[in-house]
Amino acid sequence: MVRFFTRPFAKRSRSAYRWFDERTGSTELVHKGLYEAVPEKGGWAYTLGSATLVLILLQLFTGIFLLLVYTPSFTEGWGTLNFLQTNDRFGAWVRGMHLWGAYVLILVIGLHMLRTFFSAAYKRPRELNWVTGALLFFLVIGLAITGAMLPMDQAAYWTLVVVTNIPHYVPGIGDGLRQLWRGSDFVGQQSLTRTFAIHIWVLPFLLFTLIGVHLYLLRRHGEFGSWVNYTPATADPEKELAERLRRAEPPYPTRRSERRWAVPRRTVEFFPTQLFKDTAVSLLFVTVIFVFGYIVGAPLSAQGNPATLTYVPTPEWFFLPLDQVLLLAPGTDLIFAGIALIGVASVLMIVLPFLDRSRERQPLRRPEVLLPGFFLIALLILLTVIGANRLWNL
Amino acid sequence: MLAAAPPLQPIPTSNVGGSIAVAIVALFHVQIATFLTGASFLIAVSEGISIARGDDRHERLAGGLLKAMAYVFTFGAALAIFWVLFVLLGMWGTFFIALTKITFWPFIFEAGLFLTEIVLLYTLYANWDRLRAYRRARFGLAILLAIALWWQQFFIDIVASYMLTPNGGDTNQLAQVLNPTDLPLTIHRTIGNIAWAGAIVAFVAALRYRRAKRRERDVRVEDIPLEHSVGAMSATWYTQADRARALRVAATNNVAFFDWAGTWGAIWAISLTALQPWIGYSFAKEVQLHAYPAWYRMMFGDISTVFLLQIFLLGVIFILGNLYFWRRMRASGTRGVRTQVLMLGFLVVATVLAAMPARFAWTYADMVAAHKTAAWWDGGWNNPIGTMIPNKVIALMVLMIAALVVVTSVVRAHSRGELRWGDATRRSQWLLLSLGVTVSLMMATMGVIREHSRQPFLIEGEITIQGQQILNPATQGQGVPSIGSTP
Repeated sequence: MVRFFTRPFAKRSRSAYRWFDERTGSTELVHKGLYEAVPEKGGWAYTLGSATLVLILLQLFTGIFLLLVYTPSFTEGWGTLNFLQTNDRFGAWVRGMHLWGAYVLILVIGLHMLRTFFSAAYKRPRELNWVTGALLFFLVIGLAITGAMLPMDQAAYWTLVVVTNIPHYVPGIGDGLRQLWRGSDFVGQQSLTRTFAIHIWVLPFLLFTLIGVHLYLLRRHGEFGSWVNYTPATADPEKELAERLRRAEPPYPTRRSERRWAVPRRTVEFFPTQLFKDTAVSLLFVTVIFVFGYIVGAPLSAQGNPATLTYVPTPEWFFLPLDQVLLLAPGTDLIFAGIALIGVASVLMIVLPFLDRSRERQPLRRPEVLLPGFFLIALLILLTVIGANRLWNL
Repeated sequence: MLAAAPPLQPIPTSNVGGSIAVAIVALFHVQIATFLTGASFLIAVSEGISIARGDDRHERLAGGLLKAMAYVFTFGAALAIFWVLFVLLGMWGTFFIALTKITFWPFIFEAGLFLTEIVLLYTLYANWDRLRAYRRARFGLAILLAIALWWQQFFIDIVASYMLTPNGGDTNQLAQVLNPTDLPLTIHRTIGNIAWAGAIVAFVAALRYRRAKRRERDVRVEDIPLEHSVGAMSATWYTQADRARALRVAATNNVAFFDWAGTWGAIWAISLTALQPWIGYSFAKEVQLHAYPAWYRMMFGDISTVFLLQIFLLGVIFILGNLYFWRRMRASGTRGVRTQVLMLGFLVVATVLAAMPARFAWTYADMVAAHKTAAWWDGGWNNPIGTMIPNKVIALMVLMIAALVVVTSVVRAHSRGELRWGDATRRSQWLLLSLGVTVSLMMATMGVIREHSRQPFLIEGEITIQGQQILNPATQGQGVPSIGSTP
């Protein structure tokens, strides 16, 4: 022990690292993480997944900072955030980053899913990558919605009232579900406590568990998509594919995949080529969040007041399609039908790989999947635009 | 000298005469302008595909559409001048000058974009073949033309939507641009214009196909390149030489080309119209929230029966598209024919339900006045089966989903190379011809509904049709005395 402290610093560091590495295998872990084959073509299209991860981590960090101040109380919650906004040097900025981080995260995860959908990266053997990814998307949406209810200003209070009322439209068990969330028939302290618990414990626990599974599956099966070049270039495709299979580096050839899609035509190491692209794109999004968080920040309207007659509640932008459905479907039965339709669409989205069993990967040859998908996406975008226009004219 | 000048005489017309003149010119104007907007989009798309995939059919279609645009625009521009100068200024001067003052900037931008359109359209028309050597430049010009026309539509939508939902006469520029019905109308029209242009393509292609098929009887183009499969893989691809040969044949052979163009146009028409029930419903919802009297006239008043006609025509559009695709797929013996038959059943039932009157009286007020509000099986005139909510809404959703399945089925057959161009029967082209006519009728009906729902107003709640009286103090200063009312 004495000898260790009498050595020069560099030697001491190496020795400490060897000790640590011997027990944890960290060098091998880093090596595995950095040196793996990824497709050479389409690298920029594959940066959105890692950007999503970076943005989720950013949300975690900004969320921890907010937790240091925020009190989940019906009477004091708004006051703690108001204090943060007005008295803390960086409080408003961090809160703004948490809000804009959520907005950008929803957009990026949506784009990531679109890329996966468009390029058929959910097909065999990557079905579970898609399922976990789709669940992650819904968890992020859940986090955004529950997060919008916490500041206890007017917007948050009325979001809490409207959103916790939605389960009530489910026939039979609706009232019970609403009571379970609210803690009673009406919105109160219990509703906030439960929503807070869901936001900071339940959903993040599920989120990080699924992220682990998602990353493991990604590493197991490698990246895939129709952007990647799989087309044989020689006159004898059969021979070329056989050669590719022979020379493939892990994680290729993809197991349980058709031979044509098992190995990309050319691969590169993840480090430095792909890591550079991932870092550049993630940095771009993080910069946007820093800038918008600082300049625009996060609004905090007056403290929530159940007795107000003048405040007009407006939903968050990502909630607009559902809000339009609620608006366009007057009457309890139709509201339930609308929500059920969205539920069915969500389930269909999750089980997509089990519905689309064809082996075709090229987008133009999969209209039976792409057309309904684009139809749905077009409707969502149009409902958002029309919803935003309606809010403007309120 | 001036004092001795005789007073200007009003144009000898009545409100009815003026309305008829407006109706005739407006209907022509709308059909032409919407075709131009939609066609410019299809030209850009086809030119893009042609460059990306080396598909000569798309180049031929883009060239043909551009020529058609130039001819139609020439006539349409003359009509627009006639419409603005004589009908609107001569017969509805007070209203039109007030409207021009209120929506001054949108009109200015409209005029600027009109000039841009002239420059781009005639540049492309005069140099289409010459620019073949500079495909990307030609593509760029086509995109610019489409953008200019879309903005033109956007600015005129501000005017049209302001007339329906002026939001208490708020003349603020931003409030005009984002008035309650502007974005829904813009989305509705953007989608509708492309669908309309698709229907025209299908109509013209059907006419040409019938003639080509008669002249070149028994011509059957083997448009399917040979498939090369690799080992155990099911996925297939074609060699570049195969594709190029097939596409050359398809582009130069009239039978193959017009068969393809008709199907291509119909696919645009049906797939985009499938979005319209939802967008239209959103539009109507905004009218309900911000111009309730107009909405009431549409749903319960004089126009409600015309509204039913519109829903009926919507169902007919889908049915005609479905019938054509069914016949087309059957002619080539593709998979998915049974799906089309199944969807036909859904479409017919949904159309009947959607177009069913909610009462057996012209208006709701007639039914109430006759004390016949009970259901028809109880001796009244009310028909609960035809209620908007939830029955018609459900029927509209079925129409949307069935139309989507219909289009997906035919595109699927196309994408797998199962449709052989030239197989379509001459008789099946009547379905495309009917589709074009029905879409045209649909557009006319929609125009009638939108314009008449405002009555007795020209601008809802602001300016009346009778004597073009300006009611709202906010717009009072915008008007000028009409020639007819000059003392």
